[in-house]
Amino acid sequence: MSDFSEELIRSKTEDDKEESCVFSGTGMSFPWLQKHIGTVETGGKKEKDFAQTTSACLGFIQEALLKHQWQQAADYMHSYFQILEDSDSHKRQAAPEIIWKLGSEILFYHPKSSVETFNTFADRMKNIGVMNYLKISLQHALYLLHHGMLEDANRNLSFHCTYIPHLLYPFIYEDDYAYNTASQNMFDHSWKTSVNLRALIQTPGVWDPFVKSYVEMLEFYGDQDGAREVLTNYAYDEKFPSNPNAHIYLYNFLKREKAPREKLISVLKILYQIVPSHKLMLEFHRLLRKSEKEDHHKLGLEVLFGVLDFAGCTKNITAWKYLAKYLRQTLMGNHLAWVQEEWKTRKNWWPSFHFSSFWAKSDWKEDKALACEKALVAGILLGKGCRYFRFISKQDDQVLRKKIKQIKKSVKKHSVVNPGL
Amino acid sequence: MDFPSSLRPTLFRTGPLGLSNVPDMSFMCSWRDTLTLPESLPKNSENGAPHLSTGLLWEPETPGPLPLLPPGPDPWDPGVTAQDLLFRGGFPFRRKPQAVLDVTEQLSRFLWDHGDIAFAPLGKLMLENFKLEGARSRSKKKTVVSVKRLLQDLGGHQPWGCPWAFLSFRQRRFSILGGPVLGKSVASLLGELLYEELATRWEQLLLDDAFTGGALAWVPGRTAQVGQLVYPAGGALDKLCFQEVSLTPGGDPQALGDPGHIQLQGPVRQVVTRTVQGESLLAVRSDYHCALWKVSKQGRPAPLQVLQVGKGATGISLSPHLPGELAVCSRSGAVCLWTPQDGLQQVYKDPETLVFCDPSPWRWADFTAHPRVLTVGDRTGVKMIDAQGPPGCGLLLFRGGAEASCQKGERVLLTQYLGECSPESLHPTLHLICTQFSLYLVDERLPLVPMLKWNHDLPSAPLWAQLLPPPRPGCPQPLLLGGQGGHLQLLHLTGEGASAPRLAGPPQSLPSSSDSLSAFPLLEPKSQWRLQERLKAPTIGLAATIPSSASEPVLSLFQLSVAGDVFYQRLHLQADPGPNSCASTASWTPQATACCSRWLKALLKVPPAPPVWAAPTFSHRRLLGRMEQREVEPKGPEALRAAMAEGRLLRQRDLGSLPSAEPPPTPEPGPEDELSTRLEAAWEGQLATWWERQQGRSSGPGRQPKRRKRRTQLSSTFSSLSGRLDLSDATSPPHSPDRASPEARPRPPVTPPSQESTQELWARDVPSERQQTLRDYMARLPLQGDTPQGVSLPLSQTSSIRATPSRPQTLPDGTAELPPRRKTLRGATVSSSQTSSIRATPSRQQAPVLSGSQPHRKKPRMGF
Repeated sequence: MSDFSEELIRSKTEDDKEESCVFSGTGMSFPWLQKHIGTVETGGKKEKDFAQTTSACLGFIQEALLKHQWQQAADYMHSYFQILEDSDSHKRQAAPEIIWKLGSEILFYHPKSSVETFNTFADRMKNIGVMNYLKISLQHALYLLHHGMLEDANRNLSFHCTYIPHLLYPFIYEDDYAYNTASQNMFDHSWKTSVNLRALIQTPGVWDPFVKSYVEMLEFYGDQDGAREVLTNYAYDEKFPSNPNAHIYLYNFLKREKAPREKLISVLKILYQIVPSHKLMLEFHRLLRKSEKEDHHKLGLEVLFGVLDFAGCTKNITAWKYLAKYLRQTLMGNHLAWVQEEWKTRKNWWPSFHFSSFWAKSDWKEDKALACEKALVAGILLGKGCRYFRFISKQDDQVLRKKIKQIKKSVKKHSVVNPGL
Repeated sequence: MDFPSSLRPTLFRTGPLGLSNVPDMSFMCSWRDTLTLPESLPKNSENGAPHLSTGLLWEPETPGPLPLLPPGPDPWDPGVTAQDLLFRGGFPFRRKPQAVLDVTEQLSRFLWDHGDIAFAPLGKLMLENFKLEGARSRSKKKTVVSVKRLLQDLGGHQPWGCPWAFLSFRQRRFSILGGPVLGKSVASLLGELLYEELATRWEQLLLDDAFTGGALAWVPGRTAQVGQLVYPAGGALDKLCFQEVSLTPGGDPQALGDPGHIQLQGPVRQVVTRTVQGESLLAVRSDYHCALWKVSKQGRPAPLQVLQVGKGATGISLSPHLPGELAVCSRSGAVCLWTPQDGLQQVYKDPETLVFCDPSPWRWADFTAHPRVLTVGDRTGVKMIDAQGPPGCGLLLFRGGAEASCQKGERVLLTQYLGECSPESLHPTLHLICTQFSLYLVDERLPLVPMLKWNHDLPSAPLWAQLLPPPRPGCPQPLLLGGQGGHLQLLHLTGEGASAPRLAGPPQSLPSSSDSLSAFPLLEPKSQWRLQERLKAPTIGLAATIPSSASEPVLSLFQLSVAGDVFYQRLHLQADPGPNSCASTASWTPQATACCSRWLKALLKVPPAPPVWAAPTFSHRRLLGRMEQREVEPKGPEALRAAMAEGRLLRQRDLGSLPSAEPPPTPEPGPEDELSTRLEAAWEGQLATWWERQQGRSSGPGRQPKRRKRRTQLSSTFSSLSGRLDLSDATSPPHSPDRASPEARPRPPVTPPSQESTQELWARDVPSERQQTLRDYMARLPLQGDTPQGVSLPLSQTSSIRATPSRPQTLPDGTAELPPRRKTLRGATVSSSQTSSIRATPSRQQAPVLSGSQPHRKKPRMGF
């Protein structure tokens, strides 16, 4: 028996040098593991008193912050500075960051805190380590910017402008805001930074504000080709996440440039693949409708159906209006097959998603125009027997009487459903 | 739909999880998130500084939640804790925590408590090598050992107290020879299984994902002030209760009348409600069944359908788009769309995890902004699947890896679609993903790149989240996050239209039920401990609502614990978000403390749960059998024996008059008393005198016999009590070999204590030779009788369900649909067959516990 336990201990101590937080092969780590282990008495060397005190203090600060007790948090923070004297170098090195994060949080919300207090704290904190200096400077600048102190922020940053892009790289993720605002200000001052910025936005990531500003700047200097290249890269580079904004920016740029319709359609086609619910899709539909190609006309119908698939777009009256109009147009153009193709995948859920009697009542109550458009579509797709259409057509409304009559007529003429079948 | 015109810049890195164990502190800093993006800055900064909602705070009315309903009648026990599983041995402290399972102790307990099970089979194999009866073996075979001597040597020991106190040479030889055989077989057979079981238990203690999603739901009623809480109750959590609750704007929530209930056949793990197109639906997930009810306007549930999930269901969610549509996921890795009309449609099946290999069979599914696209999640990531697309296709929405800058060991614990709220709030394309460290908001239009990350730092697993509508128009939406340990966090989210979602103000923590301890009167330690344990019971559900009609928004929050308690708290949105506002501390009102006292009184009336484990005591049964042989017995010992056999308290009237009027003999100072007097003397510096006295006493010739006599007298009167068997003293009663043999013969090893005692009683009326036959017969049963009750009964339980199918369908996942068992609601009585099925359902605390925690049973000395 004792052999067994010894073996167990040995194997544990050997394997788990690094991943002691992890248990039994699942690889998952549990932040609350220590709490459980703490309930089991263990012999041997205990954690040092100082370490216990500081970790308890950190816990109190976090608790006070989560209860919005800023004064209490500040009091605890006052004591927590002691950790900078910790004999454990690992903890001592990690401490400034924690102090800065929590301290800035407290000072940001503390009712008695002022910009001066924040400045003093930031200046003191900056002097602990070079890496901290840079990070804290950036966040400090951000704070100042948001307090409307652009001059101070600039002064704070201009000193680092020359070497920021080199040193900043590892911190971009964390300090993107600061960098973002900083770079905005830097445009006014130095053209040189643009070179660095260009390098930055070629790195995979989401750089919407930078790209926007950079393109604006290029356009300002008349470098249309450069701007187009930047936007094209940003949109089509496969290493980047599929950011809808990249395509939207490119589309807007091309639109400004008065690019040919064909080109615009090809850009929006990709956006349609990524975000079929985007509001530009209605614009896309208009472009497709105006196009001469037949497959574009077909795609136009698909796009409208696609928009209305989404929960956030169900009350988009423009989309319903377009669909009602375009359905009639398509059917008049003898393209019943297109409609049937789109309807095939939707017929088992659109009726309850869009055309239930609940929606008929509620749409009629909230937006009669929307109800009329939907009724027309419902009538065409589902026939006269559909609940939505029946409900709307039975309504007796002075203003809309004529419109409802028209709808009835269109439905009779165009309905996809063959009552004989 | 609008897409945020400019997203927060982030570096996009691909790759595995971070290698660092240290949490990234950058997501602990909320103030940078509260600042608006620069381009929207000019709009807001009319007076120089942007408007910041720093005063955004939900103020709790009381320092802790209050009980809403009286405690249930079933006892509750906290179950297995870390202390039961982990080594308490001396481990040197390290920076990193370490948990080592205590297999050794469990195994040794098993060997002591259930030696019959552990050694009987081997004993039978070795039977021919032992001579059980008679004097020394005269056989020529050297391989036959006489047991009698061995037993005699063992006889005087209290096995549990100090098993190795004394070893005779014979025993020593026997242990050396037999040890490897006996020890090895048990350790190798059982050790691995035991380790596995302990590891499972330990993992369950660290993370119990059965209740993911929460088993408490709020069904809004006809008016904003009335609604229903739906939750499981009963010891096995198998009674689905519907409690009507009224929320008055000024006062506390009131439970209206008694709850209606539906008796189910398994523990309820998840309760989901949703009102789609004016139709309220209620979905319930049990371990192997899912069920759907429609709740009428009057609040009455009407069953729609029940689904059986063969491999076990892990998650269920109701569609926010189409009434009556659900997504169900199973341990097998299958995700199905389920509608009562059309049945099941398998959308996805993959037993492997999405991103990297993780052993957890936990799966989760939810809906997206597109009614035909589902999210499928496991511990490693979340994928979007088009139900109409070709199988196997999909797009990763969240990847546990560098994309979301996850840290080492980070796993997805919960995913939730947040798009059910009103259109003027957050984008209806957002998904919440919670890990043990952080929460992420991911927009399905921009997969892989989280829009928001916040290091929640909860001290327990966040398994519940609820996004609430904005309390006032233009206000940020509160997002409630609940941890298994009862910890609650409230985040304020904004970001409508063209702006990206972000935190509006610092998150806040809400009181948890253990904060309510101060509202209860101080009790005696045992009850206080019980109350404390009860308040600390893990949370299994969370529901919150903000009645819209109130002038001042009030957030009512309900919390269900695994002990079946529903607690509530009310929070006010701080009326004046002035710059000097600070969290004021709430205090207990007399009504609150009165409410707590009432609840406590009811709680203390509930009998405490029987202990899951009791220290084994020395077997006295054998002695009882021996003493039965005595012809003349005074009334006292007989009553005593009867009381002991029945396991009840011995009272004065049972004894009648004491056998002798003599006062009980004074306790003879044993060797340990000698020691204490010696120590006492040494302390006083009179050791020499003590020694002299001692020498004089021990050499005194008249002393020993007297003492011996007294001891005999004592042992005959109290031997059954003290459990001491002195074979040399017990020669007097003449006993038949039949009587003596049971000590060495196998006993029916697994019989619960009640049965065991009755067995002794029957034995009294049966002729001795018949008894022997019976014993022999029962000795053959041991291993069949060992199947725990919980194993066989669920089978009958499922078969009872299977007996009622009207329209069984075989489904792709090997599941079958069955009509639900209808039960009358509102005061429905439970038939006897149901009650038995309740017992059959293994509840959390009744679940097969480790060997050591089973009620103690008698053990024979050896296994043959």
